Amino acid sequence: MIRAEELTKRYGDRTVVQDLSFTVRPGTVTGFLGPNGAGKSTTLRMLLGLDAPTRGHSTVAGRAYATHPAPLTQVGALLEARSLHPGRSAFHHLMALAHTHGIPRARVEHVLGLTGLTDVAGRRVKGFSLGMGQRLGIAAALLGDPATVVLDEPVNGLDPDGVLWIRTLLKSLAAEGRTVLVSSHLMSEMALTADHLIVIGKGRLLADTTVSALVREAGGASVRVVTPEADRLRALLPTSPHPDAQITAEGPDTLRVTGLDAAAIGHTAAAHGVPLHELTPQTASLEQAFMDLTHDSLEYQGAAA
Amino acid sequence: MSATTPVPAPTAAYRITPARVLRSEWHKLWTVRSTWITLVTSAAFLLGVGILMGATYTSDGGDSDVDTVVLSLYGSQLGGVCLAVLGILVTAGEYATGMIRASMTAVPRRLPVLGAKAAVFTAVVFAVSFVTALITFLTAQIFFSGTDQAASLTDDGVLAAIAGNATGVTLLGVIALGLGAALRSVPGAVGAFIGGVMVLPEILGMLPYEAVETAVRYFPTQAAGALGSADPMPGAATPGAALFALFLWAAATLAVPALLLKRRDV
Ligand SMILES: Nc1ncnc2c1ncn2[C@@H]1O[C@H](COP(=O)(O)OP(=O)(O)OP(=O)(O)O)[C@@H](O)[C@H]1O
Ligand SMILES: [Mg+2]
Repeated sequence: MIRAEELTKRYGDRTVVQDLSFTVRPGTVTGFLGPNGAGKSTTLRMLLGLDAPTRGHSTVAGRAYATHPAPLTQVGALLEARSLHPGRSAFHHLMALAHTHGIPRARVEHVLGLTGLTDVAGRRVKGFSLGMGQRLGIAAALLGDPATVVLDEPVNGLDPDGVLWIRTLLKSLAAEGRTVLVSSHLMSEMALTADHLIVIGKGRLLADTTVSALVREAGGASVRVVTPEADRLRALLPTSPHPDAQITAEGPDTLRVTGLDAAAIGHTAAAHGVPLHELTPQTASLEQAFMDLTHDSLEYQGAAA
Repeated sequence: MSATTPVPAPTAAYRITPARVLRSEWHKLWTVRSTWITLVTSAAFLLGVGILMGATYTSDGGDSDVDTVVLSLYGSQLGGVCLAVLGILVTAGEYATGMIRASMTAVPRRLPVLGAKAAVFTAVVFAVSFVTALITFLTAQIFFSGTDQAASLTDDGVLAAIAGNATGVTLLGVIALGLGAALRSVPGAVGAFIGGVMVLPEILGMLPYEAVETAVRYFPTQAAGALGSADPMPGAATPGAALFALFLWAAATLAVPALLLKRRDV
């Protein structure tokens, strides 16, 4: 369990994170989402005590990360920036970290196996591909068998196999009851991995919600109906029991219906003998929802945006 | 694939202790090549220059008034620079590679990391320097026998000077380690060490003020020099005062990053 309370970080006179409060609960994957420069990495560094917040504070399992007697068993972290000596082998890198907590060699070998690095464990990290480096970072994060796992953009630079592997790993970690916080600037990736979402922009909280709720809020689900008798169907649809139902004409024979599901529309049409050429449920694109949410807080906006 | 396949030890046994942080720093030191390179190079300088001094020595060559230990261990000046570089790599090197983020995440109280680095460095560098200095002295004596530089380990002050030489280069290395931790940059710390510790006192020593000249005796390099001399050198601090001064310099150079470490972002 991670709790952030009014976290604020200023670098010089730039406020990079502002009054950020949220709670990350165990048992689910929580996505930490925001456009480039939103302050995700800065927030995660504050959670780990690497950067001191200008104001506010954060706790892991009820106390500041740095005050835990065995911090690696509380939080395992993969940071955005490379955090290792390229001249050291993967095994020795992990072993050096393990020694601080009295973690035995067997556990180091276990996490090397878990991340598929056993065969390259003796090689210097310098020669590792991006994906292998990322796997080593995850091995380091899992070293202390931590109750909470924090990963900053873990899929960066991974091939589709690697992405799938991370996705599966995160879900299994959450299923084991761990707290999983994973940052990304890709909504599409988070939609497949995360259940809960914390969205920030320009250092401020934009949304603390679930993936499904976000879709609903961002325009919700609608149904596209194509029929030669559009006007007749429009009059027949049972809008009165559904006050938030809305019907808009998108063309002479095309309707967009919100607030009614495809089944209700189909039944009505069948009951009155209205021929349907198309009946398509449409969910608002998550990517679009994310862009709508963060549009006003883009740090680096393309000229054409 | 699952992270819960039985873990070898109960998690409750995992805990940070000072001894474990020492162990970790010890492991880190020996698992990068730069440690071996700098230690071997420094030993090679010491031994090589010692042999050179012995092989080229003649009693009427004008060096008769030079202290035997100083002459034998002349290479410790160059060797000391290698050890200073090692000290800088131990601290500033972690900032250069990013390893510091892993170290400070594992030991977020931070100070034990710096303390363990200084302790491991001190122990290893002193041991290596002392043993190399002993070997170098004995090797040089093979050449010195029959000259006016002939001496033995049991002569007055010789063993103390050899130990003093090793102590001197070790504490100079600790100063470099402290500079690396404070400046967080390898080139920055190397520059500061060469400029501030090695060159500056030489320049100050040229100033025609007696007070400055007396003060310079207690500067790190000069104090280290005084420590490595079997016979008291004229115009140098006494070994006791030199050791005390050098110790204070090292402690002060470590105290600065120790104080900053808690406040600064990693
Ligand atoms: N040490 C620092 N000093 C000054 N500014 C910084 C520092 N670290 C981060 N910033 C600034 O803070 C802002 C937020 O950076 P951060 O890395 O937290 O964003 P992010 O959400 O992780 O972005 P990305 O998706 O690109 O990784 C950026 O504008 C960045 O330039
Ligand atoms: Mg980032």
